[in-house]
Amino acid sequence: MGWGRLQNDRKETVALELRDLSKTYGSGARAKRAVSDVTLSVRCGEVYGFLGPNGAGKSTTIRMALGLIRPTSGEVRLFGSPVTDHDALARVGSLVDGGTFYPFLSGRDNLRVLARTRGIDGRRIEDVLERVDLARDAKRKFKGYSTGMKQRLGVAAALLDDPDLVILDEPANGLDAAGIQDMRRLIRALADEGKAVFLCSHLLHEVQQVCDRLAIVSKGRLIREAGTAELLGTSVRLTIDAHPIDTARQILAARRPIAAPSGQVSVEGSREDAPAIVRDLVSSGVDVFKIAAEEQNLEKVFLEMTSDPDA
Amino acid sequence: MLDAIAAEALKMRRHRGTWLMVWIFPLAIFLIAVASLIYYQFAPANPPGEPQSASAWIADRTLFWRAPGSAPGRILIAGFVALLFAGEYSWNTWKLIIPARKRWQLVVAKWAVAVGFVFAAFVVTDLISLATVWLRSLQGSEIPDGVTLSGILAAHARAAAYALLPIAYATAFAGLFAVLTRSILATVIISIGLVIVEGMLGILGVFFHARAPDLTRFLIETLPPYHVLNLIEWANKKTGLVAPLGPDASVSLSWATSLAALLAWIGIAMAITLLRFSRQDLN
Repeated sequence: MGWGRLQNDRKETVALELRDLSKTYGSGARAKRAVSDVTLSVRCGEVYGFLGPNGAGKSTTIRMALGLIRPTSGEVRLFGSPVTDHDALARVGSLVDGGTFYPFLSGRDNLRVLARTRGIDGRRIEDVLERVDLARDAKRKFKGYSTGMKQRLGVAAALLDDPDLVILDEPANGLDAAGIQDMRRLIRALADEGKAVFLCSHLLHEVQQVCDRLAIVSKGRLIREAGTAELLGTSVRLTIDAHPIDTARQILAARRPIAAPSGQVSVEGSREDAPAIVRDLVSSGVDVFKIAAEEQNLEKVFLEMTSDPDA
Repeated sequence: MLDAIAAEALKMRRHRGTWLMVWIFPLAIFLIAVASLIYYQFAPANPPGEPQSASAWIADRTLFWRAPGSAPGRILIAGFVALLFAGEYSWNTWKLIIPARKRWQLVVAKWAVAVGFVFAAFVVTDLISLATVWLRSLQGSEIPDGVTLSGILAAHARAAAYALLPIAYATAFAGLFAVLTRSILATVIISIGLVIVEGMLGILGVFFHARAPDLTRFLIETLPPYHVLNLIEWANKKTGLVAPLGPDASVSLSWATSLAALLAWIGIAMAITLLRFSRQDLN
């Protein structure tokens, strides 16, 4: 079996799979659904972006993927095994909450504790410290670290056991411009090594540059999953100036209406959708004064998908 | 499993809380020993007192092993266990180590380190006290006739073995409180409350026995406090504790009964801790 075949096989491996994953906190009238029926999969060799506004359920989803929180329903599978299988979980490295460590230990001792807990030898500690450019400060106590250094140590911990799946929750938080660039290179390099990277970030420009596929969540629901290029290339916003606008909104309700200026209605769609939309509106007695297509970047896509069209 | 225990030990051995609540025992006895040796070196010789019997002298030398079962000892142990368990919630570090190891193994490692550190601290304390006795004998302190090395070792081994139970008892319940409350402070406060209630149980037993004798007897014979004290009494005096409940009533149980009861309570506390922690969401 050649190297290329091996690489291809690895890329077909599903590292993380979420099936109808839901989480409800509390019960009865006080029940709060944090995550609703999220289904997605992340393959080895790809960077998968997981985006959503604050409170969208990203952190809860990540915690369920790491076995920190029990799902109310649905399933998390790591490399085909349930998340309760520790052999599968051992193949995962994670950075959650910007790196949480023992404040009274040095950076190096924190990694030693983690290495011992994982049952691995500490030889990789110096390698990962070098990789995140923290070797010089490894003797300092964690409580004296800057936000960026804490973040770097978190990434070092995530990479300590040479994982096949790396889950990174806001890895660029607190990093300066050079640090963000380094982080971007590192994430890309991990995917190029054949690892699966599940990246949760609010830095949309960074996500756009580094991710192969994206999922957008809002109010606990996965509202869109697509390749980055597909999402940006096809997601053109069509803004329609029509009268009466309420009738127009009703007619276009099935076409994912998104927030629009007052007196207009916007929908997600491609340029080719415009004639059909105009036909639908005119045949229902709505006067169409203008329809305009607008190219999207990730920030626009994200804001439109996650904002309330009725707001 | 040994890796998880080693990781816990590495984490806690130099923590300030460990110095304050565990290593304080050998440190304090070391300082007291040095001070007493210096004092006796320069103090005028006292007239010889009433000679002690060999057995009483040996029993007095095992005094430190009563500390884990005493109120201050149990509070310090509970404080250390609170730090060990509830500290992970305060530092938000469960999410660092839970993906690395099965939950039950993390809990067992914490129990092992708690019991191991406290027991090791008392072993060192005991060795320092024995070394002090030897140094005092060089200074002219009398050792009663009949005291033998084998006698000393046997008494200390027995006292140490009996001390393991109060250590395990304090550890198991403080660990349970920590997992239930997720707070160092709450764990310590509840543990102190428990120690106070247990200390008052003798008085409460007499008071309630006059009103509900059967229920009071049942509770005293079932709940852990009597059994802890009974085992300590068996270790030190080779006779059980007679707990008076009234003019004609008392509780007196064999060491085997108390051992079984205490082990059952420790087992129950550990089982609830494991069950609760295995199902706990860690946000």
